[in-house]
Amino acid sequence: MSESEAQSKPQIIELRKLTKTYYRGSEAVEVLRGLDLDIEEGAFEALMGPSGSGKSTLLNLIAGLDSPTSGQLLVAGADLGKLNDTQRTKWRAQNVGFVFQTFNLMPVLTAAENVALPLLLTNLPAAERKKRAETALSVVGLGDRMHHYPRELSGGQEQRVTIARAIVTDPRIIVADEPTGDLDRDSAEEILNLLGRLNTEFNKTIIMVTHDPAAAERATVIRRLNKGVLA
Amino acid sequence: MRLADLGVRNVMRSRLRAIMTVFGVAVAILAFIMLRTVLSAWTVAAEVAAKDRIVTRHKVSFIMPLPAKYYGEVSQIDGVKETCSMNWFGAKDAAHPDEFFGTIAADADACLKVYDELLITPAEHEAWKQNRSGAVVGDALAKKLGWKVGDRVTLTGSIYPGEFPFQISAIYTATRKSVDRSTFYFHYEYMNEWAKTNMPTAADQVGWIASRVQPGKRAADIAKAIDQHFDSGDIQTLSQDERSFNTSFLGMLSAVLTALDLVSIVILVIMMLILGNTIAMGVRERTQEYGVLRAIGFLPKHLALFVLGEAATIGLLGGIVGVAISYPIVELGIGRFLEENMGAFFPFFRIPPLVMVMALGLALLLGLLAAIIPAYQATKLNVIASLRKVG
Repeated sequence: MSESEAQSKPQIIELRKLTKTYYRGSEAVEVLRGLDLDIEEGAFEALMGPSGSGKSTLLNLIAGLDSPTSGQLLVAGADLGKLNDTQRTKWRAQNVGFVFQTFNLMPVLTAAENVALPLLLTNLPAAERKKRAETALSVVGLGDRMHHYPRELSGGQEQRVTIARAIVTDPRIIVADEPTGDLDRDSAEEILNLLGRLNTEFNKTIIMVTHDPAAAERATVIRRLNKGVLA
Repeated sequence: MRLADLGVRNVMRSRLRAIMTVFGVAVAILAFIMLRTVLSAWTVAAEVAAKDRIVTRHKVSFIMPLPAKYYGEVSQIDGVKETCSMNWFGAKDAAHPDEFFGTIAADADACLKVYDELLITPAEHEAWKQNRSGAVVGDALAKKLGWKVGDRVTLTGSIYPGEFPFQISAIYTATRKSVDRSTFYFHYEYMNEWAKTNMPTAADQVGWIASRVQPGKRAADIAKAIDQHFDSGDIQTLSQDERSFNTSFLGMLSAVLTALDLVSIVILVIMMLILGNTIAMGVRERTQEYGVLRAIGFLPKHLALFVLGEAATIGLLGGIVGVAISYPIVELGIGRFLEENMGAFFPFFRIPPLVMVMALGLALLLGLLAAIIPAYQATKLNVIASLRKVG
């Protein structure tokens, strides 16, 4: 990151009086209660909180997977509350990379093919898609595992493939939902190092939900949610 | 890799299930092809019937005979070129009591002119005409029963109860494969002489009269003229072109044909349900993956494409395997067996190319139809709910 960029970091996420209410039958469950939040581009933030605190709901809203009940949700220049499902889907494809707790790679595809999956939605020629997938795998240190199937990879390697898939479209934001939850300590460390590199070397904004305080310590900002409000 | 490839690749996710489903579809397609081939074999006689050949029968029923004198009268009607009387004899070879074959008493001189698709040499024809108890048999029948020219054969009549010795004068072949090559033809006079002595009520009667019309004449017009000629007689006739006649003969089997038709459709519906169930199971199992795909930017239509692509692949594979296995089974096995042993019913039991194309098309189409509901369910997937299953 250049010095001038560091000096003028724009807000990539702006939440104003954001609420999200679910209905369990006729009973309204207010999961997020008027959140205000600003996150700078290039931040690495961890969201923590007890189960049911609303952290996954907040992550889903920021990632454009869900729409708010009320309030403003500006992410990467889009007012997500005003987009319909198709518009949000297309926005996600361009702006968000996803890392999940369980890796959920397609077992019938090789590592390179899994990584290239989001590029199928672009107009890039096959050779370019392949090249970009290989580059992304090299970034996560799996340049020698491109043609391996998920069953031939360790858990840590699978999660690294997931991260390569998340960055292959060069999104501005990476959302990670318990990215180390299914990994042993060494693999978790590798993944956290990788996320840190993506943040510092590639200026990716990373929002990570975690229960693990050690993982959260790797973020530059830790936010705690409790009963739908930021502590 | 392209988008459509993903659906195809998914086919082999659960290899055993995919193989079993493809096999299930293949068996259904095999059953469909065989039933359609039975239908085709039964109706082929009507389809390949000569356009200039007329069959005249009793107006009331095919099984009621006509006076023999009608034979001569038909040949005199303007526009009729050749005429031949025929009687269903109904007999069996005592040496092969379990073998069924058609036995027809005919005018030896005329019948090979009316039915010019039956081939024997002029010398053999002459030999037949000269031999009162001579018979001409189809090559398929001769092969099955081990008969050769010159052999003596005794048939036991059922309609005309008695023992009838014959000598094989010729073995006929045919100009095309759809002609029955399992019939036993012999002299009408031989049968009629026996009837005059032993069964007078059955004497001087013919079963039906087959005629060829002169070139340039319309069979329908001549048929009408024949019927008008006998309108004022004691027994009225019904004359039809050969296709109509054969179709009306098939009409007696219409319930069986309709049942076969229905069964072939039911088999395909069962196939569709099996395939639909397999695809639905796959969609349920991949809820999480579909959730991830939706999260990373795939639209509902893409998921539908994957599901339909998978179903179409299984359907088509099953269709190809079904056609591939039915070809040797029918063409080299059952077909040959039926032609040789049941030539009277199935003179040409081979898979019509159109049936193969239809089977492949239906396998693909029904595969797609089977996947409509699972594909719709995939498009309606709740992304958050399916991702919740992930973590």
